[in-house]
Amino acid sequence: MAGMLDKLLSLDRRWIFLLVLLCVGTPIVMPIGLPVTTTGSTRAAFDYIESLKPGNYVWISFDYGPSSAPENDPMAEAFLRQCFAKKIRVIVCAFYPLGGLGLATNSLAKVTAEYPNLRYGEDYVNLGYKDGAAAVMRRLGEDIAEAFPADVRGTPLAQLPIMKGLRSIRQVQLVCSVATGVIGEYWITQVHSQIGTPIIIGPTAVAAPKYYAYLNAGQLVGMLGGMKGAAEYEKLLAARYPDMAHFYQSTRGFTATKGMDGQTVIHAVIILFILVGNVAYIMSRRAAQKKGA
Amino acid sequence: MNLEFGRLALVFLFAIIPVVGIALGINSPGLRARIPLFVAFFAGTIPIISLYVPKKFLSGPTGMSPRLDQWLIIVYAFAILLGVVNVLQNSTRKIVRRESGWPFSIVLLAGLFVTGGAGVYGAISRKGITLLPDGTATPFKWIQDQFFQPLQSTIFALLAFFMASAAFRAFRARNTEATILLLAGGLVMAGRVPLLEFLAAPFPPLQPAAAGASQALGKLTEWIMDTPNGAAQSGIIIGAALGAASMAIRVILGIERGYLGLGRGE
Repeated sequence: MAGMLDKLLSLDRRWIFLLVLLCVGTPIVMPIGLPVTTTGSTRAAFDYIESLKPGNYVWISFDYGPSSAPENDPMAEAFLRQCFAKKIRVIVCAFYPLGGLGLATNSLAKVTAEYPNLRYGEDYVNLGYKDGAAAVMRRLGEDIAEAFPADVRGTPLAQLPIMKGLRSIRQVQLVCSVATGVIGEYWITQVHSQIGTPIIIGPTAVAAPKYYAYLNAGQLVGMLGGMKGAAEYEKLLAARYPDMAHFYQSTRGFTATKGMDGQTVIHAVIILFILVGNVAYIMSRRAAQKKGA
Repeated sequence: MNLEFGRLALVFLFAIIPVVGIALGINSPGLRARIPLFVAFFAGTIPIISLYVPKKFLSGPTGMSPRLDQWLIIVYAFAILLGVVNVLQNSTRKIVRRESGWPFSIVLLAGLFVTGGAGVYGAISRKGITLLPDGTATPFKWIQDQFFQPLQSTIFALLAFFMASAAFRAFRARNTEATILLLAGGLVMAGRVPLLEFLAAPFPPLQPAAAGASQALGKLTEWIMDTPNGAAQSGIIIGAALGAASMAIRVILGIERGYLGLGRGE
């Protein structure tokens, strides 16, 4: 028994790596289709965007990089789809230096291709990346054109029909920050607290715990916590919009709902590892105590 | 040119006084050390005062505080330049001295020059750094899509393997605190995914019970995240904010001088 325990505790880590690879890879290749239950914070975010009227403004900030794209991309794309379906005008920017703008461009290109009637500069605009997130956000409260003088294509804001009459972020009905780090917090402290614009946050699962404090304090309208939050949002979208239900069922691309299958299996494996590791640890400790006695 | 009081005051405080200070401080280290303290004092106090004193020259759209925010954006851009200089210095030194891992520094510098060059080309040619009007990628965007994004995703994906290995080897119930952490972590991990439905999938009669239990587990997870976690996070955030405020006061009053990087006797 002791020999088996020692063997288990000193298991070559490459076997663990191989098991992780199989557990993550298999559900991606062969989706299981596990059910997703929705939580209050995600429903609140969804309902708030549903309550907006056509022609309202939603500001979507891409505050994440490629490292967390599988979690954050589905959130950003779900926000974009809902806004475009409701004919809400969308302003996109990026504050994350390591690839935020590239991901914003890719997501916009992907989702706008699904809505051929949308016109750049009228229905949506990409303002590009700007360094110094907190300082830029403070400027947005005074004058958007001073923070972002031109869009990502170099067109001055004054020449864009979507920006006509829009001077400050006070006039924007909602900010959605899809964030991996501290930038999501800046939106709350610099924009919501000082200007009053409502905020929805879409953090990674690792960052989500800290945002519960802001959610409880009423400083957030809603939150999509990690890939689960994104999968919940996809479920809500599919339930509300039949076109999107068809899209999410038929797409060959990656969605959070598909990702949840892999995440469920790997969570099961990690819990199993923790249990086995602890059972082996407790038994080996007891065996050592018996020997000592 | 509209000579507003706020603009003149900013030029006086942050341009004329520092320049005069630098000129006078060439032969006087003591004076040289005081000028940054003076600049930091006004850079710190103007935004605070503007929150409480609703005067146009302070907090108006073109007042001193919004202008300082504008300057801050420019300073951030210079910080990137500083980073580039730092990478250049360190990597060049490594290559010249043939220090351990010096070939990687060549790759780093090549990446810096090629990507940076593509970005500068995009700016000069006015083609930008994203997509061209015909939907094709600019050189900068191509490098980002084909190299940067896959590489960064790969590095981050490796975490899954190390976390699984660490869960097996290091996550142990060694004492009461570790056991509580283990239980809370295990419950949240199980409650955030449809784990019970997954485990019950091969046994159809168990599936309704698994769905009910999964919902209950989900509610327990939400309670853990909402109540104990939310309360602890609030405490951490308030504590950090108080710490940041006290540090800001120390910098504004010139008590904290570490950021000046002065030598002994200055």
